[in-house]
Amino acid sequence: MSQTSEPKKKKMSLNKRQNLTGWAFLTPATLMIAVMSFWPMIQAFILSFQKGKGNNLRFAGIDNYVRMFQDKVFMQSLGNTFFYLIIQVPIMLILALILAQMLNNKNLRCKGLFRTAIFLPCATSLVSYAIIFRSLFGVDGFINSVLIKLGILNTGYNFLGNAGSAKAVIIIALIWRWTGYNMVFYLSGLQNIEYSVYEAAKIDGANPIQTFFKITVPLLKPTILLTAIMSTNGTLQLFDESFNLTKGGPSNATITMSHYIYNISFKYVPNFGYAAAMSFLIFILVAILAFIQMKVGDKRD
Amino acid sequence: MKKKLLGVLLCVAMSATLLAGCGNNGGTNNKADTNANDDANAEDDTKDDAKVEEGASSDENTLTVWCWDPKFNIYAMEEAGKIYQKDHPEFNINVIETPWDDIQKKLTTAATGGALDTLPDIMLVQDNAFQKNVISFPEVFTDLTDSGVDFSQFGEAKTAYSVVDGKNYGVPFDNGTVVACYRTDVLEEAGFTVDDFTDITWEDYLEKGKVVLEKTGKPLLSCQSTESDVIMMMLQSCGASLFDDEGNPNMVGNEPLKKVMETYQQLVETGVCKLVNSWDEYVQTLTTETVAGTINGCWIMASIQSAEDQSGKWALTNMPKLSDVEGATNYSNNGGSSWAITSNCKNMDLAKDFLKSTFAGSVELYENILPSSGALATYLPAGESDVYAQPSEFYGGDAVFKKITEYASKCPSNNTGVYYYEARDAIATAIQNVVGGSDIDTELQTAQGTVEQLMDQ
Amino acid sequence: MTKTKRANALMYVVLIIVSLISVFPIYWMLIAATNKSVDVTRGKLLPGTAFFDNWKALFAQSPVQEAMLNSFKYAILLTICALVICSLAGYGFEIYHDKGKDAVMSVLLLAMMVPFVATMIPLFRMFSDAGLLNSALGFILPTISTPFLIMMFRQSARSFPHDIIEAARIDGLNEVQIFFRMFIPTMRSTYAAAMTITFMNAWNNYLWPKVIMLDESSITMPMLVANLTEGYVTDYGVLMLAVLLCSLPTIIIFFVLQKSFAEGITGAVK
Repeated sequence: MSQTSEPKKKKMSLNKRQNLTGWAFLTPATLMIAVMSFWPMIQAFILSFQKGKGNNLRFAGIDNYVRMFQDKVFMQSLGNTFFYLIIQVPIMLILALILAQMLNNKNLRCKGLFRTAIFLPCATSLVSYAIIFRSLFGVDGFINSVLIKLGILNTGYNFLGNAGSAKAVIIIALIWRWTGYNMVFYLSGLQNIEYSVYEAAKIDGANPIQTFFKITVPLLKPTILLTAIMSTNGTLQLFDESFNLTKGGPSNATITMSHYIYNISFKYVPNFGYAAAMSFLIFILVAILAFIQMKVGDKRD
Repeated sequence: MKKKLLGVLLCVAMSATLLAGCGNNGGTNNKADTNANDDANAEDDTKDDAKVEEGASSDENTLTVWCWDPKFNIYAMEEAGKIYQKDHPEFNINVIETPWDDIQKKLTTAATGGALDTLPDIMLVQDNAFQKNVISFPEVFTDLTDSGVDFSQFGEAKTAYSVVDGKNYGVPFDNGTVVACYRTDVLEEAGFTVDDFTDITWEDYLEKGKVVLEKTGKPLLSCQSTESDVIMMMLQSCGASLFDDEGNPNMVGNEPLKKVMETYQQLVETGVCKLVNSWDEYVQTLTTETVAGTINGCWIMASIQSAEDQSGKWALTNMPKLSDVEGATNYSNNGGSSWAITSNCKNMDLAKDFLKSTFAGSVELYENILPSSGALATYLPAGESDVYAQPSEFYGGDAVFKKITEYASKCPSNNTGVYYYEARDAIATAIQNVVGGSDIDTELQTAQGTVEQLMDQ
Repeated sequence: MTKTKRANALMYVVLIIVSLISVFPIYWMLIAATNKSVDVTRGKLLPGTAFFDNWKALFAQSPVQEAMLNSFKYAILLTICALVICSLAGYGFEIYHDKGKDAVMSVLLLAMMVPFVATMIPLFRMFSDAGLLNSALGFILPTISTPFLIMMFRQSARSFPHDIIEAARIDGLNEVQIFFRMFIPTMRSTYAAAMTITFMNAWNNYLWPKVIMLDESSITMPMLVANLTEGYVTDYGVLMLAVLLCSLPTIIIFFVLQKSFAEGITGAVK
């Protein structure tokens, strides 16, 4: 009896010790996030119930939250942002997965070159790529001259001057810029899948498409979840493309929520209470979406 | 593994630094004397930086300044420093290159975050944003009304930008007087000279523009579709504003505004005005000769002149005016900036005296900076200087600076109000919809609604 | 066999097209850096002769070396600190997971979702009070621990085999030793990927340094590039050269590290 109870007791304390070690491991990171993110967040939350120009603030209840839903420009920015989210994120993630799968092929030559080439867009500074995209899609730009030469168009089409095509350009730009970024996570995730699994599948006669859906996707699930949450978050906070590429135009057809918040904070007469309220709406939206994604994707087998 | 990765990082860091170092030496070989100068300057800079830890200068003889364009206002500020040094050998100026967007951000953050001590002694503020900032953050600005600066020596329209409640908060600097520039060779091809475009109305402009377009295939004008610059210039040219005297939005039932929007719509519809989507494309239309001219603040001349091979082919005159509108002129303004002293300035007397004896008192300064920077004075006595009467080869031997100074004195003033950027954006949205086929009255109604909502604070 | 060959050929075609599309802007940037501003605005797509003029102009007007050094200093410091802190936490969250820790993780994830514009001003006030403006510490602290990195390590720790841990424990290694001796070497591909991403984000970080870096000597490369776009006239040749210099480090680091995260040897450790 005493012989069996001794190890059991030891194991209990071992478990407890491991549990404590676990907490010790995550404490520094957690503390930093609490101080650097949650504390300012609470202050911003308090601010979202205040009103006024610059520093002359007064308590205003939920005015700012009510106002948001009457603000046509904000509602438009909300619509635009969701439009980007729904179209761009799935296309980008699938493309990144396919490319990662291709580049994970052991027999592929010049892998390093291909990988670097595909990663390049997100390393390129925004300044240059905004200028390049604007000139590519300009009325006299490269895309138009190609389309005219091919006989598809007669005169240059103003891509950035029409609501639908301007949105499309933003989506193309986003996919162009971030596919390589997401691919990095998939490539790194794929290393944790043993290559023999693929070889076994090959011997069993599975074609690449089957391998992709039956092996790659299920095994990369944790990584896919990570990138999905990240991209959702990134898109809902999208600022750069709207600000630099289209300036939100034509007629606010491409403006994003963050861009509008930026205008309210820095371009217009500053209204930080309202800006904070809008930020919290974004926060709630991302949190809900992330929660759904976690529920669907974050299960330990 | 970690060590290896760390090693990689460090190697890359070192090689890149070396690379940068080598490059600079390469430059030295090519032009030893200029670089020697640069090195000396660099040393001076580091010394200054060491002294100034943050924000305004603690050293009582040094002023820290935020402004943004090395070829323009930074250069002007440094020249002003040199002039002031002649009488005050101890004096030093420490210019920190800060883009306007950043100045606005830092100003907002510092004022809201209660960290005014991070601000410099002097900063340059865009005229359009001046009143907004003074009213939002009065604690940041210093009242200069009794500083000894003689504000009557500046154009009235210009000074008005930095006046709030009858108090002066800024010393006017550069000028955004509107000029119309035309390609004389293109006009000639269509049978016109620049005189045909001087002192004309927008109706004339439109008719002649159609002829030019037909004969040469070139539009007379290009502008950014998402900005309302052209609208605002036209509006100011007849002394009208988007706000009334009480500061309430005045768009619905604003006859000049409606007329302006109709004119703009016609310009675009007939193809006389070509719409582009960004600033780069706009400059491109000028340098690639896709358009026969442009209308903008006189600072656009620097971009036009970047195409050196077009020297002598350009001419400069005034802008068209609106017909049938009371108070319409051929003169307007677009952009410009003024110097402000922050409340963080430790040596207020020095800062005031410095601005008074340079930007608001030294013709010499404006004579020095004009030739290489094209920084046009709003300080009226400078306009009488001989330097301003020098002919410019690029514009066919015309004395353009004298002309512009003259235009500036005739420019009607404009009431930017506090909510200028809000209104501008609302109008930009409206005009894009109008060009897309929407009705002007409806769009003005919407624009006014948008601005009223934003003003509810 | 021919079928595989055709599939292979198709793969190469796809990869080449995707690479060309990706690389085009870099090519454009390179070309622009060798041309005069006016030629850049005219859409010239062939190399020019103005590279050295642009180079001289850039180095004469901007403190490039200083900005490069600063950017490297901040980015390297941040990358090292963030990797250690976050991987430790990610490992802790996964390997010792229980209900309490999972709940903490969910709460931490929320921190990722607040737009930075909202927290920037309170954060600025905090840093200004603490006297951390213009300092490397000021640069790195807000992003030293990110939910994203923690989650990345947590997700990858999921594939870290538990029997290795058990075996190590039996061998008498303590928990900290297991982390440093077993986890880090096994997860080298994750570390390499995280390092690339963190370095890139730190390098390109713009809004925050712009707010806290007040004097010229703490300028970073992205700030230097932004300075060049302001003003009434933009010199596109000089600007593109600066952008090129600003993009190079991330590209080089990616190129050097890509083998580590894309051709990991996890299998061998197992």
